[in-house]
Amino acid sequence: MFRKVLIANRGEIALRIIRTLREMGIASVAVYSDADRAALHVRKADEAAHIGPAPSRESYLNIDRILEAAKKHGVDAIHPGYGFLSENARFAHACVDAGFTFIGPPASAIAAMGSKTEARRLAKSGGAPIAPGTEEGLESPGEALRFARDAGFPVMLKAVAGGGGKGMRRVDREADFVSSFESASSEALRAFGDGRVYVEKLIENAHHVEIQVFGDQHGNMIHLGERECSIQRRHQKVIEESPSPLVVKTPGMRERMGEAAIRAAREAGYFNAGTVEFLAENSGQFYFLEMNTRLQVEHPVTELVTGLDVVRLQMEIAAGTKLPFTQEEIALRGAAIECRIYAEDPGNNFFPSPGKITQLSEPAGPGVRVDSGIYAGWTVPLDYDPMLSKLIVWSDARDRAIDRMLRALGEYHVGGIRTNISLFEAVLNDAGFRAGEIHTNYLDEMLRRGISFEKPADEEVKRIAALVALRQQTETAATAGVASSNGSKWIAIGRDALLQ
Amino acid sequence: MRSVIRVDGEIVEPANADVVETEPGVYSVLLDGRSFEARVAGAEIAIGGHRFSFEIEDPRAWKRSVGAAGAHGRAVISAPMPGKVVRILVEADEQVEAGQGMVVVEAMKMQNEMKAPRAGRVASIAVHEGDSVVAGAVLASIE
Repeated sequence: MFRKVLIANRGEIALRIIRTLREMGIASVAVYSDADRAALHVRKADEAAHIGPAPSRESYLNIDRILEAAKKHGVDAIHPGYGFLSENARFAHACVDAGFTFIGPPASAIAAMGSKTEARRLAKSGGAPIAPGTEEGLESPGEALRFARDAGFPVMLKAVAGGGGKGMRRVDREADFVSSFESASSEALRAFGDGRVYVEKLIENAHHVEIQVFGDQHGNMIHLGERECSIQRRHQKVIEESPSPLVVKTPGMRERMGEAAIRAAREAGYFNAGTVEFLAENSGQFYFLEMNTRLQVEHPVTELVTGLDVVRLQMEIAAGTKLPFTQEEIALRGAAIECRIYAEDPGNNFFPSPGKITQLSEPAGPGVRVDSGIYAGWTVPLDYDPMLSKLIVWSDARDRAIDRMLRALGEYHVGGIRTNISLFEAVLNDAGFRAGEIHTNYLDEMLRRGISFEKPADEEVKRIAALVALRQQTETAATAGVASSNGSKWIAIGRDALLQ
Repeated sequence: MRSVIRVDGEIVEPANADVVETEPGVYSVLLDGRSFEARVAGAEIAIGGHRFSFEIEDPRAWKRSVGAAGAHGRAVISAPMPGKVVRILVEADEQVEAGQGMVVVEAMKMQNEMKAPRAGRVASIAVHEGDSVVAGAVLASIE
């Protein structure tokens, strides 16, 4: 097993990986940019290396700087986390070339699945159903339009080198086709240096269901069941759960999807952890979407229903161990849900809300897990993704997991910045969500109908607020020796500390 | 004279309850045997999922403790992060209501409507449409 591992990432996922490393007795090396000197992952790692200025391109995406840090700290292996360089085949290759184990799939599999048309071809040859579409990426709209006419609108345009919703367009009418194609193509060219676009028949009101697969380097591959991630805002997942309510009520669906996912991964010569994403209709018919060749943000829901530590399994497989169990030995138990907590204001069009966290109270108690990268006093930087933490709960049934999540959200308090906690309260109380009748446009439709994020307060609660305001003012004044503004609480506390 | 407390802009008589500060900025309130937890962060109080702005007028000190939504004096509307002014929705001297949109700032590809923290008269507009602004830049003020 490895002695020391570098984590080429930041935030909650770096913390998540450090925790498993510590349990395994492996030393951890964090990396940080100028903006992250005081970040939690730097505080919690055994060692830390500075890798450059705040912009990702000059730090967390800088392969040379990360490899330099790995050499300097004498690590055996590198874990890329998710995002940043995790699906960069060149990085995986460079790690191996420099003598480090890359904790993830082989670079060749990352490259194969990174091309969305190649991924579709692999899935198809492995026997997985794919949504009807063009086989190849196209540079001009002519052939794509012929396909769209035959298949019928609406269609989706997607970038061959796609990811993160970039170069993606829904087209409802033929009149919009050419301009949509051109804007998708130029967006893809700017984002990925590859302007090729392919067209796919749009599967409407579909569930997003994905299969977690795991392969070792000895040819064994299994799956760890599914996750449903249909609650999305602008193509970004915000709530994930396992098992999927659709899969649970559709006989044989998990087995069929699991089989299709494993075959697609095998076609790419895959090993380690990966996720095969599908769109699924209410009938249970599903279509291959793409494969994510990394640890997913939402892996904790799989961990809670399987009882496994996915990151530990990644380490073992990267070190050459055989998968320690067979498909038959995997049992899913209960239901798990994850909410992605973001620094953004749902009451103000989800505008990002970076800034200093003045107070923090995290939920705890039965069945609750918080994977967090923040602390009270931390200033959320503007430079990176505004995800603060993930709140994950488990219970023996989906209903009770939803109730538990609502309870835990009520305990979660992040002071000084806005978070999207009130969004989750609205979704989890929604009758359609509770019934599991969800699809990838569900949340956007719900938001279009309008959700009130402000709960009406009765007079009594306002009177309590007035009482607390008065008390706070009195205490601040007493501590500071003058009647001062309510914003100076921290100054007052600081002064207190100095006088002691 | 007693202090006047405004919660979300309106004068509210404080509850007669048992209150203790349990950790910095966190208060436990017991009212008729029921338990509440209140958190003060800056100019806001959060109680059980509700958020309030508050302001205290202390007649002895002739000094006001004004939160983001002070009812008197000048309130400044500033940019929360670097961005570009895309629209100005009010004019100088105009009367505005609390919560009325004043300036639209675009940052990180999102349009953000900066709202009036309270009712009042627009005293100044410090930016023009198309201006780039830094975090904390003053956009407008209300009197």
